[in-house]
Amino acid sequence: MSVKLSLRPVQRLLAAAALLACAAASAAPPKPWPVPANEKARPVEAPYYGDALFHFFQDRYFTSITTLMASQHFDRVAAHRDEAEILRGGMLLSYGLHKEAGEIFAKLIEQGASPAVRDRAWFYLAKIRYQRGFLAEAEDAIARVENNLPPALAEDRLLLQSNLMMARGDYAGAAALLEGVAKDSPIGQYARYNLGVALVKSGQDEAGSKLLDEIGLAPAADEEMRSLRDKANVALGFSALQAGQADVARRSLQRVRLEGLQANKALLGFGWAAAELKEPKLALVPWLELANRDASDAAVLEARIAIPYAYAELGAYGEATEQYNAAIAAYDSEAGRLDESIAAIRGGKLLDGLIERNPGEEMGWFWNIRELPQMPYASHLTQVMAGHEFQEAFKNWRDLRFLAANLKDWEDKLGVFGDMLDNRRRAYADRLPAVQAQARAVNLQALQQRRDAVAADVERAVREQDPQAFANVKDRELLDLIAGVKQGLLDVGDAAEAERLRERTRLVAGALEWRLAQEYAARAWDAQKDMKTIDAELAQAREREAAVARAQVEEPARHEAFAKRIAELSARIKALIPRVATLSAEQGKEVQELAVAELSRQKDRLAVYSQQARFAVAQMYDRATSETPTKKDSDAPAQ
Amino acid sequence: MSFFHRLQCAVAGLVLALAALPSLAQTAAAPPAAPASAPAPSTLDGRIQEVKGDVIRLNRDLLVLEEELLFPANTQVALFVSMDVGKLFQLESVQVKLDDKIVANYLYTPLEVQALHRGGVQRVYLGNLRAGTHELVAFFTGQGPHERDYKRGATIKFDKGTEPKYIELRIKDSSGKLQPEFDVKVWQ
Repeated sequence: MSVKLSLRPVQRLLAAAALLACAAASAAPPKPWPVPANEKARPVEAPYYGDALFHFFQDRYFTSITTLMASQHFDRVAAHRDEAEILRGGMLLSYGLHKEAGEIFAKLIEQGASPAVRDRAWFYLAKIRYQRGFLAEAEDAIARVENNLPPALAEDRLLLQSNLMMARGDYAGAAALLEGVAKDSPIGQYARYNLGVALVKSGQDEAGSKLLDEIGLAPAADEEMRSLRDKANVALGFSALQAGQADVARRSLQRVRLEGLQANKALLGFGWAAAELKEPKLALVPWLELANRDASDAAVLEARIAIPYAYAELGAYGEATEQYNAAIAAYDSEAGRLDESIAAIRGGKLLDGLIERNPGEEMGWFWNIRELPQMPYASHLTQVMAGHEFQEAFKNWRDLRFLAANLKDWEDKLGVFGDMLDNRRRAYADRLPAVQAQARAVNLQALQQRRDAVAADVERAVREQDPQAFANVKDRELLDLIAGVKQGLLDVGDAAEAERLRERTRLVAGALEWRLAQEYAARAWDAQKDMKTIDAELAQAREREAAVARAQVEEPARHEAFAKRIAELSARIKALIPRVATLSAEQGKEVQELAVAELSRQKDRLAVYSQQARFAVAQMYDRATSETPTKKDSDAPAQ
Repeated sequence: MSFFHRLQCAVAGLVLALAALPSLAQTAAAPPAAPASAPAPSTLDGRIQEVKGDVIRLNRDLLVLEEELLFPANTQVALFVSMDVGKLFQLESVQVKLDDKIVANYLYTPLEVQALHRGGVQRVYLGNLRAGTHELVAFFTGQGPHERDYKRGATIKFDKGTEPKYIELRIKDSSGKLQPEFDVKVWQ
């Protein structure tokens, strides 16, 4: 059997495998739920809505959503009622609360929201339905979106539409749609990548390869885009290997960066492409490079067994045997390290290590694991931790930790609120007797009677136009004095001196009367004004008296209502704490099991590699034995 | 079966194993019908989502209680900071005095400044005030045009009644003067 013929099925499998991997990788843009920001769409007309946006723009969704909901309770975001609901729905969606989010959007549509709000609601409904697998309903919803989406969502809409088209096999339609997305847009590149993989998977190799090739050659501005470009080149390379186009494969795989996440896969494939082209010596170059890399990578492990294969192809059987034996030894020690890692994970080191190296402030959607935990052979976990399933599972566990801390904080705070309320109750009880005594001391009824008497006097004086009624204390003293003098002069007789005094008294009395008459209008006005002030103050006093009376009934009731609410909320917290703890334990276990399952798979792979290497060694010995029978026979000692 | 054939079949098996590697760039955009995106209430994921919803609603109720208990409407005063354009001023910190007493001193992170630029409004202070006339003085520190250190104040006298009072400290760009402007808006 020729080498070429025997290699083909290998590479077909290999290419199919790579594509499977690529398809599973169906790449997506970094922020899968860019909730509409309403950025500067119109000025903020309610400061509390702006407050929710302030937290939202910092990706502090938990604070944003809870403060927004509190503001909605107080009805202080009424000026942005629908916008606030869209924002809330989007954030709930980002937490995976599809049902509640769906209800919000459906209600907005039902209530006949403005076109801009309605479009966003339909868009999000389409997205929810797509995620839940209701494709026809999702298409129906996306079809209802008109032209009022904010620019930030326009590309998302195209991506969703193209995903829906791909889901029903309309690749040509999806491709046409994605033509409208700028080449330098990350969302567009991800979508084109997914489409390329989908096309190849559906047998439309040429169209798919063309798309992937475009991405593989496109300039990439940042690490994320460079990584996507590498992925496209790897997918393209393995697709070409599958089609028996080793030279094409080599060209694509050469474009992959040597230090990126795809580098190991690319080196492995590059070696196979060389082997396919009957260049085992050239195949050794990437494989030997791979063999020096981190042994926890499956491509590295496979390279260890591919190297002796290449040596065998070159006829260097001695070297091949040696390499097989080295590979067996490496597999054995790697299996031992994997066992250690599994034990460490089961001992809780994974979760503790991950949370220590990857802290986060809030329950976050955009948060990702970036640092490996400090534990023996942490690199075993690189693959599993990069996976969506593990990331999501760990994120959920981390969210539960956040919720547990949040509940604990509130539990403490409620304790403080309870103490505060007790203090208020005590202070109220302490002050009440003094306030009551003060209230009793002020006889409002007597004051009212006095006011009424004064009012009657003023009214009479005005009615009768009596200037003397408005005489002040000094005037009254003068009036009394004049009256006294007049009375005294009555008994003096008719002496000339007495007559002169009477005349002077008459003049003085006349002058006083004149002045009082002159000042009558102003004084009457002042008196009436004073009456108004007295009335206002009396009314205020009556209000205060009523307020004190009311407070004596309402304040204890208010305290009681607060105490009841605190007790009710405490009960809710107490019920939630064990729920969160149980879920946290379960989720932690799931995270660990995901990691253990992956490491077990790695162990299984190792076992297969090891078994095959041993088998190959045996074959080599068999071959060596069968090729030199004469010499061996002659050398053999006599039995 | 030849040595090579067996070897290659074996390698094929190994390659298939390689294919089972989890994807490296997969993110949350799950394909349709992905189980994680539609958790049933009985699944662990479903129960986690349910508890998240319950804690969010509980937090809302707790915030409402906290506000009603600590900052009753009849005495409540809330101060906000906002920025309109803000190209002429790089905000670094804000100090707020109410009736000559410092009630807020806030140093901004770049992320917070960015959030203000994007239309967010920060509630920088929430407190209580008696009914009557009060004076508010705010100092804004940062960098003005030509990266010069800049400190400006804004002041206002306002009446507090029995309704909550919302006061917004606004940073604006005066395109005419090519200088930042600081003013105060009383909402209620």
